[in-house]
Amino acid sequence: MSELYLIAAFAAAGLLGYKLISEVPSLLHTPLMSGMNALSGITVLGALVSTAAAAAAGSKALGFAAIVLAVINVVAGFLVTHRMLKMFKSEHKEGLK
Amino acid sequence: MIYAQLLFIAGFIYGIRLMASPRTAVAGNILGAVSMLGAILVTLAAEGIISAALLWAGLALGTLLGIYLAYKVLMIQMPQMVALLNGFGGGASALVALLAVLDPAALNPFTSLTTGLAITVGGVTLSGSLVAAAKLHGLLPQRPVHYRCHNQLTWLSIAALAAGTLFLVFFPAFSGSAALALTALALFFGYIFTIRVGGADMPITISLLNSFSGVAGAAAGFALHNTLLVTVGAVVGASGLILTQIMCRAMNRSLMQILLGRTTVAGQKPQPELRTAVKEYPPAETPGEKNRECIQALRRAEKIVIIPGYGLALAQAQRELKQLADLLSRRGKEVRYGIHPVAGRMPGHLNVLLAEVDVPYEQLYELEEINEFLETADLALIIGANDVVNPAAMEAEDTPIYGMPIIRADLAPKIVICNFDTKPGYAGVENRLYDLEKTLLLLGDAQDTLSGLLTAWEEKEPRRENRPAEILAQARRVVIVPGYGMALAQAQGEVKRLIETLQKRGVIVQIAVHPVAGRMPGHMNVLMAEADIPYDLMFEMDQINDEFKDVDVVVVVGANDVINPAAVTEKDTPIYGMPILHVDQARHVLIFNLDRAPGYSGVPNTLYDAEHCLFVPGDAAGTVSALAQSLQASS
Repeated sequence: MSELYLIAAFAAAGLLGYKLISEVPSLLHTPLMSGMNALSGITVLGALVSTAAAAAAGSKALGFAAIVLAVINVVAGFLVTHRMLKMFKSEHKEGLK
Repeated sequence: MIYAQLLFIAGFIYGIRLMASPRTAVAGNILGAVSMLGAILVTLAAEGIISAALLWAGLALGTLLGIYLAYKVLMIQMPQMVALLNGFGGGASALVALLAVLDPAALNPFTSLTTGLAITVGGVTLSGSLVAAAKLHGLLPQRPVHYRCHNQLTWLSIAALAAGTLFLVFFPAFSGSAALALTALALFFGYIFTIRVGGADMPITISLLNSFSGVAGAAAGFALHNTLLVTVGAVVGASGLILTQIMCRAMNRSLMQILLGRTTVAGQKPQPELRTAVKEYPPAETPGEKNRECIQALRRAEKIVIIPGYGLALAQAQRELKQLADLLSRRGKEVRYGIHPVAGRMPGHLNVLLAEVDVPYEQLYELEEINEFLETADLALIIGANDVVNPAAMEAEDTPIYGMPIIRADLAPKIVICNFDTKPGYAGVENRLYDLEKTLLLLGDAQDTLSGLLTAWEEKEPRRENRPAEILAQARRVVIVPGYGMALAQAQGEVKRLIETLQKRGVIVQIAVHPVAGRMPGHMNVLMAEADIPYDLMFEMDQINDEFKDVDVVVVVGANDVINPAAVTEKDTPIYGMPILHVDQARHVLIFNLDRAPGYSGVPNTLYDAEHCLFVPGDAAGTVSALAQSLQASS
């Protein structure tokens, strides 16, 4: 995979993300941030591959730590975001209850 | 593989798009989570490592810890939670990059550079976030900590980090030890960077670190040539960047000020000292009086803006605030919350805290929307907010908050402030809202203040609604005095019901009609007859005026001047000498008038303040029917 392609992907994703996230209302900025925490856990993919490839025990330990940290991010990030988003209720919905 | 990656990227992006509305955000988050799960499984399968036990152990352990964290955290702790996760994300990316160097398969200048970046940014994010989380959690002091030569150290570290990264590029042979040194340096820099950030600047710092955690992931992705890491990292980086910009604008700070530790609190000279010393708030008013005044102001207002700040969260008074807001809405008032972007310790923090106590999100308004509303609002209720409503941001050029957008509480004709004290906020700038004539100050812990207010209100309410019924329930002889106000309120039917209820209880009921009650002679009698009230209950003034001293309760409905004792006692009033119904001689007087305003003569009614008189304001049709109902209920 060429490096140029990666740089282009980086720029495109950054711009698109910038545009989409600008449209998230400040009402939801905290869940947005915790959701981003979850997404930053994407590094778990790198951690899995590198750990599997690691030969030395020390490297494997580092890789294991990386997996654990990244998965905490993924799981806690999505769950806590879910917890928060569920709390945002509309007046109208409440009226129906 | 490439198609699967594109699919997951699309999933993440569409998930973020759904975050644009609270209605769809839950689905967006789930879509993100599903995409993540898919990405993990596809990676494991495609790399042929799906059976590696170590990986699964790591995944399982991380999942358990993640679940534990996600359900243990309180909503008020969300800033430290996000800070901690920022750190984990950055740390994981730094570790991944470190692995790439320690197992140098094929290091070319591009991978070396991006590895160096990932280690640098990831390391800074890790230690910086841990410091931020510890500060937010109260494990480290909230105030900025300054070391000697802090600025020099900062610049030196930045230079060393740049040099270290370049060293990795040009001397790949020593990459292992260089990477370890770089890691240590990055951790050190993250520490000295956040340790001198004050509590108030945390929203900016967390947003910035949020961005960093994404950038570190993208850098690691470059090093590993992983498109998913690069793109998702870029999105996270962009998100944090947006939030950082919003926070900086909302706090009137530049990123450089934060980076260089020019914290508002630290830079402030103690200039407000003199004024604080001079300004003493008179302890003359008791809390009870204050509460009464405040309740009165809230009652009068139709459009109310609530402006909560971090003080509300510190006092954990959200529930009390919601109760008060409910009380106000039930009275048909329009209640809106104005949320400043930096209210709380991280972007959107107060929105979450208010959502937690079931405040519907339609009532939560952003800065600009609420400022528009404030132009026509009747009252601004400020709770635990200070700098974000400080007009100095518009007026005082030499203050650090000058130019910062504020919620224009000053536009409201009446302001109620429930803050802990009158000390300046984090910015250290005196707030002149406290000194305004129209401002009512309720100082102290917001939870105490609000619950005190609620109790005071509730104590007042039942007395208004039930005391009249209690008094009537004891009565054996009742005289009703109707006035034109009753006709205006079309409360004749309710009065009739009240009469019947009383009669059923064996009470003697009479109706006293003043000659000028109504708009023409005998008008009142016609109106009562229309409501089928027997005419033999009706008595003229002269017939009944001597008997009031034997009456237990007089119920006045919409009459004013004709019962005003000022006609007897106040010589210089226009009604002096006018014959009146001497209802003041009765044991109890219940008055159901729209308000306490004087009648046509413009003379205040001295009876209203009499000890044996109970005044029930409001539309007579409503108040009298409530009285009849509670009387029926009690029998």
